[in-house]
Amino acid sequence: MDFDLSEELKQYGKKVREFSLKEFSNKVASIYDIQEQYPDELRIKALKEGIIDFSNPWKTMIGIEEMCRVDPGLGISVTVPFFGAEVLMLHGSDHLKEKYLGKVAAGEKIMGLGVTEPGGGSDVAGLKTVARKEGNKYVVNGSKMFITNGTIADFFVMLVRTAHPDDPAKRHRGLSVLVVERNFKGFDSNKLTGKLGVRATNTAELILNNVEVPAENLVGDEGKGFYYIMEFFNISRIFVAAQSIGIAQGVLDRTTDFLKNLEKNGDYVGEERKFKLAEMATRVEASRLLMYKAASFLFNYNPNPTLTSMAKGYASETASFAAETAMEITGQTGLNSEIERFFRDSKIMEIWEGTSEVEKIVISRMILKGDKNE
Amino acid sequence: MNEQAELMRSAAREFAEKYLKDVATKIEREGIGSDIKEKILQQGFLGATLSPDMGGAGLDPLSQRLMLFEFAKVSPSVSAYIFFHNDIVSKVLETRSDKESIRNLLEGKDNYGIYWPGLMEGAKTNSSEKVMERVINSSCNKTIGLFSDGKVYLVEGKNEPVKDFKPLGLRGMGICNFFPEKRVEYGKKEVLEDLLIKSSGDIASIFLGIAEGSLEKTMEYTRVRKTFNEPLKNYEPVAFKMAELESELEIMKYSLFSDEADEVRLLMLKNMSASFSKKATKYALQFHGGYGYLEDFGVEKFYRDSVALSAIIYRPVEDKRFLASKIYGDRSGFL
Ligand SMILES: Cc1cc2nc3c(=O)[nH]c(=O)nc-3n(C[C@H](O)[C@H](O)[C@H](O)COP(=O)(O)OP(=O)(O)OC[C@H]3O[C@@H](n4cnc5c(N)ncnc54)[C@H](O)[C@@H]3O)c2cc1C
Repeated sequence: MDFDLSEELKQYGKKVREFSLKEFSNKVASIYDIQEQYPDELRIKALKEGIIDFSNPWKTMIGIEEMCRVDPGLGISVTVPFFGAEVLMLHGSDHLKEKYLGKVAAGEKIMGLGVTEPGGGSDVAGLKTVARKEGNKYVVNGSKMFITNGTIADFFVMLVRTAHPDDPAKRHRGLSVLVVERNFKGFDSNKLTGKLGVRATNTAELILNNVEVPAENLVGDEGKGFYYIMEFFNISRIFVAAQSIGIAQGVLDRTTDFLKNLEKNGDYVGEERKFKLAEMATRVEASRLLMYKAASFLFNYNPNPTLTSMAKGYASETASFAAETAMEITGQTGLNSEIERFFRDSKIMEIWEGTSEVEKIVISRMILKGDKNE
Repeated sequence: MNEQAELMRSAAREFAEKYLKDVATKIEREGIGSDIKEKILQQGFLGATLSPDMGGAGLDPLSQRLMLFEFAKVSPSVSAYIFFHNDIVSKVLETRSDKESIRNLLEGKDNYGIYWPGLMEGAKTNSSEKVMERVINSSCNKTIGLFSDGKVYLVEGKNEPVKDFKPLGLRGMGICNFFPEKRVEYGKKEVLEDLLIKSSGDIASIFLGIAEGSLEKTMEYTRVRKTFNEPLKNYEPVAFKMAELESELEIMKYSLFSDEADEVRLLMLKNMSASFSKKATKYALQFHGGYGYLEDFGVEKFYRDSVALSAIIYRPVEDKRFLASKIYGDRSGFL
């Protein structure tokens, strides 16, 4: 067993860290945070400098962690224009891939994923947005809530209902994925402001009023949308684990500096604070190992949803634990530093792409079903 | 509970319901309005703990705890605003027998900022006599501040808004940069520490008020929000956690709102309520899902405020050390 990353990945991580340290200064990050503004120029810069590399999922994961370690809001903003791309990659027609994905990779377009609705996020199959087939198009009506890139994305990979099964227990059938462009008639979006954290990211409500979507924009097969989205979450949760570990490592770095400084100045540190630091560091390490294990299954085409949910669930709880503990250790110094921003950013990790409770539902269900997780 | 305490509780509750509830989010965004400050003064909440010969109401400790609790449930910023003026400023002015300043305080001519970054072990103040950075209370014309010489001063001066920074918590109070013009020494750092120890029960009241405010909202929400065709309250992880949090809260409130609560018990309550309020408000946010993350829903502020308030008035090392020494009856938690 080898716990070390390859030399190539280490070098890549180093490069991302250097870029992030240069571009995501506290000053820059706090301006985007206060103004709740999307850092488009940083997205372009990261693409141009080869910092975003989606050709290798290990690189994606490590890159996300390194960026979020320097600043979560900016790190996520820079990597999220591709959100939902895997659904198209795995199930989209060649035409859709060429038309939409190529432009995202070239930095010309931004995409988003529309699953959650005002009535619910955890209960994916309970969604209400309906797509009615009329000739060679779908007519879509409904709304989506909390959609990242909602007012800046050019198109969305969107989950909609195309059929109504008679048996309510089978409601996860009859869902389909469509690519919906912002400039389709009847599409509207409202930016949501006043988020606790990740305020550089763009979040919106989407309104779909008789939006006509060409039938060729159907991704994969009609009725299989629910499974495609669940499959997607089993990939994207690894990346949320990476965001979370970046946050946890980021506050650990800053707390360590704070305590080292106290020691250097001959000030009192005490075992209480040292023990808390030890606990933070242990949980960060454990989360990262869990993420690497889940990733090694997933990236070798042998996904293990139990491990993926464990990695996401545990890492996200570690992020908010570490951020809260850092605030406790650093007190008013933390209040007046980047640590308070990390603290605000951390809490979303336990909510998006499956709340902590949803992860536990998945894990326990799989274990009880007999998935031995080997 | 004595009659005065009952009366104070219902007066504070009514006030919060009538003047704060509907504008709680506005207070977060724009600060505590001068109309609200005026009403707080008129109703005698601010300065209430001052003795009658100083112009106050000589409010008893239990009534003060109930008042702060009721305000914190709706607006932690308003509760903290009253706390800082009643537990710190009034006490400082009273020991100095500074009647003129007390009169100015009670007439609303003076409004105090609070500044003690260096109070916690190892934390430093980056201020000088020229500027005090990030003083709590953006509308202050005076400040009680701990300076790098380890002394507490009463400072007069001017304030300026802080640009490009939004505080984590107590946003209704806001922050400012304060430019001292005159300062009078009040005492050593220890006098401030002593005031904070003596205020343990009041601090616990704010923490528990914050917790109750967030849990009340969560009880309502988990009754009506449905996932998988069931209200959230029907799920064990939600219902059991809420039951656990409500139980802890109830037991702590029972202890806090007793006439018999002594110094050690109040200290224990401060310790417990500081971590409890973080736990309760975090679950409150979590059970609101994505909506909990948005300011409009008025839940995330409780989480922010409990963490920020902890950083400002709760000192995890010193307060625990003090409690440990009380428990052992001997100096403990030191090497
Ligand atoms: C900033 C932000 C960005 C987002 N970006 C996107 C995006 O790009 N695309 C997208 O589709 N969505 C996005 N989301 C939505 C996010 O994924 C949902 O908020 C999340 O899935 C939770 O759904 P909900 O908010 O409806 O909460 P609910 O599903 O209503 O859940 C509320 C609470 O109840 C708990 N709960 C629910 N059911 C159960 C149960 N059976 N047992 C126990 N507990 C339960 C949950 O864990 C949670 O604590 C975003 C959200 C935010 C805040």
